[in-house]
Amino acid sequence: MTYEFEGKTEREAVDTAVSELGIERDQFDIEVLENQKSGFLGIGKRVRIRVHLDDDRSGTAAPSASSAQRRSRSPGEVVVNPSAESDFEHGVLEFLETLTGKMDNPATATVLYREQDKVAIRLDSENNARLIGKKGATLDAIQTLANIVGGRIGGDGTKIVVDSENYRNRREEQLVRLAEKIGDEVKQSRKSRLLEPMNPFERRLIHTTLSNISGIGTKSEGDGLYKQVRIFYKG
Amino acid sequence: MERDLVDYVARSLVDEPDGVEVNMIEGEKSTIIELKVADGDIGKVIGKHGRIAKAIRTILSAASTKTGKRVVLEILD
Repeated sequence: MTYEFEGKTEREAVDTAVSELGIERDQFDIEVLENQKSGFLGIGKRVRIRVHLDDDRSGTAAPSASSAQRRSRSPGEVVVNPSAESDFEHGVLEFLETLTGKMDNPATATVLYREQDKVAIRLDSENNARLIGKKGATLDAIQTLANIVGGRIGGDGTKIVVDSENYRNRREEQLVRLAEKIGDEVKQSRKSRLLEPMNPFERRLIHTTLSNISGIGTKSEGDGLYKQVRIFYKG
Repeated sequence: MERDLVDYVARSLVDEPDGVEVNMIEGEKSTIIELKVADGDIGKVIGKHGRIAKAIRTILSAASTKTGKRVVLEILD
């Protein structure tokens, strides 16, 4: 079983392979297919690698369900073209690069994946933590503006997801773990717990994570965009 | 820098970019940035429930962490 990945550096391509396939770095052999160093000042530099997996291991090494679902990418499929493919994408990438430049933290914006009515963009800068902000607040703000600007330049309802350092996935996993942990505690103590304020997407994740667990329930409390989820014992 | 940032964002959001005016008042501990847009464009920089204004403010404070000065955005109407 072989898969192909692409990145700005060999390391980046390997990192993508590791996160996409859900395997350890030492579990596969890689082959560098193309090491394109052309382009002015390293712009447009791409490295393509091919990953070889033992067939008997491919069962367990299949892309993790969540990431496969999210990216609707089948094994072996070539990674998406990271450059803009339409005027709309071009405009959004340009907006994000200019915006981060004016934030004194210039980032390179590339397309991470495309879905129907959705495009995810990745920002890389010297200080990604500053672009993400506390609990992703800055990243969310950048995403809000990108969506409005995108709508103005012919996005046609396409939703834009802005990510950096895989923050969205990491936050999702962190929230699922949190929900399971607090859920267990509520079951044990029979006392309800109120979580920190979260945006609608994050709250839904908590509700769905705990919806199948017997003995506890969840509900949102408060007003506005950032409500709090309460996990309670129902016996 | 912050002035430029607000100017760029506002111009990207409104229908009349020429109507965008940004003034910066620097104090000792904080900086006030005043944003003025054409009458019909106010909603475009504020948004429903102030969603856009809030996003601009968040980005502004992220941009000004280097200087350590507090930046306040005021949208004038």
